[in-house]
Amino acid sequence: MGEAYRFPLRVVDGLRLERSLRDVLLPGRVVYDDAGHPHTLPRYFYEVPSWEHAMNIQLSPNFALWELIQTDVREAAPLRGFPRFVPCAVTMLALCLERFRDAVGTFVHVAANGGYRSPRHAVNTGTTTHSWGTAVNIYRIGDVQLDDREAIDRYSAMARQTLPGVWTRPFGPNRGQTDDQLHLDFGYVVSVPHGAPADSLGFDAERRAS
Amino acid sequence: MPTQVPPLARAAPPSDVALDSLHTHIDALERRPGVRTIAVAVHDTETGASFRRHADRWLHAASTIKVAILLGVYAAIHRGWLLPHSRVHVRNRFASAVDGHPFRVAADRDADSEVHRSIGKMMRVADLAVHMITTSSNLATNLLLDLVGLETVQRSLDELYIDGIDVRRGVEDERAFEAGINNRVSADGLVQLLRLIAEERAFTPELSREMLGILHRQEFRSGIPALLPSAVRVANKTGDISTVAHDAGVVYAPNRKPYVVAILTEWAPEASGRSATIADISHAIYELLTSQHGGKHG
Repeated sequence: MGEAYRFPLRVVDGLRLERSLRDVLLPGRVVYDDAGHPHTLPRYFYEVPSWEHAMNIQLSPNFALWELIQTDVREAAPLRGFPRFVPCAVTMLALCLERFRDAVGTFVHVAANGGYRSPRHAVNTGTTTHSWGTAVNIYRIGDVQLDDREAIDRYSAMARQTLPGVWTRPFGPNRGQTDDQLHLDFGYVVSVPHGAPADSLGFDAERRAS
Repeated sequence: MPTQVPPLARAAPPSDVALDSLHTHIDALERRPGVRTIAVAVHDTETGASFRRHADRWLHAASTIKVAILLGVYAAIHRGWLLPHSRVHVRNRFASAVDGHPFRVAADRDADSEVHRSIGKMMRVADLAVHMITTSSNLATNLLLDLVGLETVQRSLDELYIDGIDVRRGVEDERAFEAGINNRVSADGLVQLLRLIAEERAFTPELSREMLGILHRQEFRSGIPALLPSAVRVANKTGDISTVAHDAGVVYAPNRKPYVVAILTEWAPEASGRSATIADISHAIYELLTSQHGGKHG
């Protein structure tokens, strides 16, 4: 990745996307978590033209884009095909995962539906940071299936030591807990890369697009 | 001029004497130690003949319920909600029908390990359907039921006027089992459903053929097909738990239209000879419907 390297994905303003996509991505929309706190969904996305692109774009030495955007039939229909759109913060998620992988010293397997999910993905039970592209579900590390307390607690602790400020779901069967995967969560982070078509679109345009 | 092939002569339905003889044969089997109930329903599309014995009796469905779930999946495909190649996250975590408490399908209690090996990844709807039927994968079953919903399955049955199948939960839901919430079938219900598929009346001929194709790939052959001649093709689904052993299928004998049969049996938990009993009855039915004299049973 020398000086000539340019990140190969175009940044798009979600508010300028067509209506069917805006309705499922909800760019810039304020949503409320279970405690009633407001959070603003990402407005800027990388446009992923094809699955082939997703397969070929390495976000970090060990994590390719496809691993963080594989969703199943429960994803909103406009986002099951291509081009697909993923919040720009996904690049930072990959860097955190890389750091975590260094710490565990082996393969880290991200679950299907376990990276970015749109706010309209049917498995969402409320506001989830998966819709910011800043949370990840890991179902296996090396040969260890993360489906019991011992494994989940062990790798949660390693994640918290390795990644300052990361939040992990506690083990358990209830809502907000996890018992068959490790949930790493970096919060409601929004990334606006340089070159994002932001300044040219003011409040009026935002209102028009909503 | 093209030569016209004369249609095959329609076989005569079995005589009353032959039907009585089959009843007597099954009565004798039911008196054997460990056997509690034998329920049978047959519909012969060649002659229009039918045979019914306790055919409307409700029994625990065991894995025969998976045929109804297959219907529900194809209902979702028919309505455009799913495609056969739609991908599904393979996750071994389901909500009990009793209280929503999560449960898992134990890998060592599931006949199919391939779906378990895909946990965390995705599989296609059509592939899950094949695993659900051909190797009776419980994990595939719950994934598909979770996807399409109980309501879709039951509504599909209702819309097709199939009674005798009651879908109330996924499989391996121990809390529901303990609470008495179970899937139930009657022999009549399974024959209605399989007949609809065999006669290509389940949604569309194409979708019916796809379902039938999956049933034809059945790997569990120790029941209905076991004692039939090798030229006979059977599209079937078995179901076994500690107290029931069932098999239901469509039987294609050479040079005739198929017949549809469901053989449901209930047993004492320690009893043996379940598959052999089903195979015996299946053979007797085959003889009844295909022999010129209406079969012999002694």
